[in-house]
Amino acid sequence: MTDTATLERTREGTTASLELTHALTQTLYREARLLDDEHYKAWTSMLAEDLHYHMPGIETRYRRDKTEQVTDLTRMAYYNDSKPEILKRLSRLETGTAWSEDPATRYTHIITNVEVELTEKADEFRVYSNFYAYRNRNERDEDSLIGNRIDIWRQVGNDFQLVKRRAILKHNVMLSKNLNIYV
Amino acid sequence: MRFERIGREPDYSRYMDLKEGWLDRRIFSDADIYEEELYRIFARSWLFVAHESQIPSSGDFLTTHMGEDAVIVARQPDGSIRVMLNSCPHRGNKVCFADAGNTRRFVCNYHGWAFDTAGDLKGMHEEYCYDNGDIDFKNHGLKNVAKVSSYKGLVFATFNGDAPSLEAWLGDFRWYLDMILDNEEGGTEFIGGCIKSVMSANWKFGVENFIGDAYHAGWTHDSGCRSMNDGMPFPPIDMENSYHASVNGHGWEFGTEGVGDLVLLGRPKVMDYYNKIRPKMAERLGEMRSKIFGSVASASIFPNVSFLPGISTFRQWQPKGPMQFELKTWVIVNKNMPDDIKEEVTKGVMQTFGPGGTFEMDDGENWENCTTVNRGVVTRHERLHYRCGIGRQIEHDTLPGIVYRGQYNDANQRGFYQRWLDMMTHDELGKMPARPEPQLGNVAETRDLPGLFAL
Repeated sequence: MTDTATLERTREGTTASLELTHALTQTLYREARLLDDEHYKAWTSMLAEDLHYHMPGIETRYRRDKTEQVTDLTRMAYYNDSKPEILKRLSRLETGTAWSEDPATRYTHIITNVEVELTEKADEFRVYSNFYAYRNRNERDEDSLIGNRIDIWRQVGNDFQLVKRRAILKHNVMLSKNLNIYV
Repeated sequence: MRFERIGREPDYSRYMDLKEGWLDRRIFSDADIYEEELYRIFARSWLFVAHESQIPSSGDFLTTHMGEDAVIVARQPDGSIRVMLNSCPHRGNKVCFADAGNTRRFVCNYHGWAFDTAGDLKGMHEEYCYDNGDIDFKNHGLKNVAKVSSYKGLVFATFNGDAPSLEAWLGDFRWYLDMILDNEEGGTEFIGGCIKSVMSANWKFGVENFIGDAYHAGWTHDSGCRSMNDGMPFPPIDMENSYHASVNGHGWEFGTEGVGDLVLLGRPKVMDYYNKIRPKMAERLGEMRSKIFGSVASASIFPNVSFLPGISTFRQWQPKGPMQFELKTWVIVNKNMPDDIKEEVTKGVMQTFGPGGTFEMDDGENWENCTTVNRGVVTRHERLHYRCGIGRQIEHDTLPGIVYRGQYNDANQRGFYQRWLDMMTHDELGKMPARPEPQLGNVAETRDLPGLFAL
């Protein structure tokens, strides 16, 4: 859409410096903590205005099948959202009548396998990571959402903002009744 | 019907009294009743298996379930559609592991038995090991279902050779179905992909929710409605000009204000689109149906398909045991919509009725707990109340079916469980009463497609 860096590498990625890698890894951890604690206001302040947040639905297909399930944005997706759309979804939690969030769900996001690369844009960085999002609610409801992500983070002053995220959940049948979570 | 389960024959009529308006909770939790449902309902009904647009070309296939039976739905070189068990007649292994794709052959991973897209056995690994007379290729194909038929893009199949025609099965419900399947020239298609999730709930809770439960919407989904519409609560229901209509266990609950579900979708461009085509829709379907479309409405096709006309989620509740179902969801759009409107609809559906949707999120926990509390033996013997609006049946000069006034009603739910009871208690489907007798003539065409073997 705009001239932000692409999620796909245009050439062999260039590994970022130790300092930059550390700063972005800490950013991912901070983001995970905000999500664990349901601090959605603080979380959404980390999202760029031109954010694209995408979690495609993945069908099981044979290797020879070249259907583009990930990058074809016209296909069904758990999330294919702009920032205003994410804010709209989250506004449900402010109504006081989101019954299935009261009592609150307990979340833990574990973020691992962080790799940071420079992109063709000086202020944007490609960040790979894996997520393990665990949920537990009421007495025994629990589930584990596992997958990987490719992000583009943009440096704004001393902070970073999420510009693009593609999260691939490894489920075919999502083994849960809903997806009341961001990863 | 050839598939009979050996065992007790309980009197299912003792599990409900629909004139009084109650149900016994064991139908939502008892393992024996669930097994019997697989035999008497899922092995004998017409079941939705695909939208034609999912398999447009020769060799296109998808896999799904009819009840708990795994099946392949495949487009043939002559354009027809075959539906067959996804199970090799040699040792029973699945012959296809993909959700969808295109192929010339289904080849079993175990011994290389190979079948064409019609299910005919074409060869196998080391064929010479079979002596003359060991195997008759003709009788060892993938078992085809008894009948396949489609109605305006929706493909149905049945294992039941004695099933009535799909036209008769749907009956006058086609008058309602046309509002979603035929509201614009060109018909409908599914958006690519299918999102599947699992709920620890009985399949009937999903169906009955969509068949008539407008009542839950304003309460369960208060947060969903407010989030999609800048804080506005659920629109008030006009009990005079809204209805329940039930035909052979199928049901559609609806208002006549024309905009409610379109508002809930939260996509103004989609609203504009339908308002633009509404005059043409009125020419096509008549004044009444053009006013119903887009209203607060929900519908189910017996036994396990549901959709929201206007919001455009289309879904199937696949039974996986008495206390679990798998929910498959698709997005249905008009084929002739511009791409940007299709995209708007798809986003709107996923933001409301995807697993992360603002409406969907509050449904699952309710249905799970309605189901799992029945692990308690005392609890499961308590009756459930289904009496809402029991005195509001009317005759209507435009609306076919068994019609009740007032959208807040349990009438369609009672109609669904009446059909459930009919199927559980009638050995011959032909002897089941029509509910009600057909009122319209042959309102639309269906295309019959060949099934290979009658059961």
